Amino acid sequence: MEVTLLIEAMDTSFRLMENARSQAVDLLNTAVKLTSETRTMEEKNVRAIFTGAQETKSSFQNLVVTFLMLFAFWVLLSGKYDLFHLTLGVVCSLLIAYLTHDLLFANVRVGDARVIAWRFFAYIPWLLYQIITSNIYVASVVLGPKQRVKPQIIRFKTKLESDISWVTLANSITLTPGTITMDIRDGEFFVHALDKKVADDLHAGEMEDRIAHVYMEADHIYVQDALDVAPIFGKLKKGL
Amino acid sequence: MIQKSDDIIIKTLARILVPFIQLYALYVIMHGHHSPGGGFQGGVILAASLILLMITHGVKDTQKRISEKAVAIFSSSGVFIYAGIGVACLILAGNYLDYSKLAKLLHVVPAEARSLGILGVEIGVGLAVMAVMFSVFFNISKGESSGEDKEN
Repeated sequence: MEVTLLIEAMDTSFRLMENARSQAVDLLNTAVKLTSETRTMEEKNVRAIFTGAQETKSSFQNLVVTFLMLFAFWVLLSGKYDLFHLTLGVVCSLLIAYLTHDLLFANVRVGDARVIAWRFFAYIPWLLYQIITSNIYVASVVLGPKQRVKPQIIRFKTKLESDISWVTLANSITLTPGTITMDIRDGEFFVHALDKKVADDLHAGEMEDRIAHVYMEADHIYVQDALDVAPIFGKLKKGL
Repeated sequence: MIQKSDDIIIKTLARILVPFIQLYALYVIMHGHHSPGGGFQGGVILAASLILLMITHGVKDTQKRISEKAVAIFSSSGVFIYAGIGVACLILAGNYLDYSKLAKLLHVVPAEARSLGILGVEIGVGLAVMAVMFSVFFNISKGESSGEDKEN
């Protein structure tokens, strides 16, 4: 008698847990769907409103900035500052800026170019400081006993989004002694590090944070987190 | 056919460097009088920038920027500029490529006209050299791919 009651109680509790679980599944499903829907809708709206004006404005801005950079390069190279050579420089820079302005600044959002340029120049002194300190550390490791050198290959995914920030991170890692970027495959960095301390510095991610600050990325994490949870969630659902 | 490279570092750095390489090439052409360089050297550097674009970004993207037809037109117009300046000197009652006779056309001293005339032919030479080097590379790479197709 007690056994059947026990079995019935267990049965009901299992059914209740099943119901709760399926309700939680439905809830999370709708949440994921809504966030992904709002994100695509937002992107579509932004694109629809700003496409025409944004593209022409950004292309003109690209042209002007490319022209200025190329002309500065010309003045640096050529020692002659008389009118004839400067006019030649203007003509050549204009021609090349017109032909290749979409190469130099391919993915920059409009209006952010000035902020990003300023932040990039503010990032360089920090990078130089990192190079100096890593130099001293690597020199101390190399001149010490051989057991201190434990080379390892670490792999990590970054939160950076565009190709130019990936390349900045890869070059910064290679420039600081002790670490070398070997490959970037499917958004994952493969880095060869000299010993554990340099590897830990890399995993702490200060360089990554600073580069995300320079290129103004990784600032809308909440939606991306939900979208990241979705595939894990799909696997859980299949297991149910 | 040269495929697009799948290494993102190489692609990004190549596309950022190409405008500077091209400006350096034009600098070398224009400063032929005062520093080492001149038409042929600048043309080769220009072609090298386009070849860099081709080996990193693949043939299709490069062809969108500069088609085969444009390359052929550049090579012919380079030679045309060179010969045209020579013939213009001839028309102005001088010898072939006697640049001093261009002084009347440009309203400058004959010495200055010689300098400008040489600059003009250097530009023509640079254009022709760039076009021919690029098309040689392009035809060799295309010939390679059609050989592969025949094997398959």
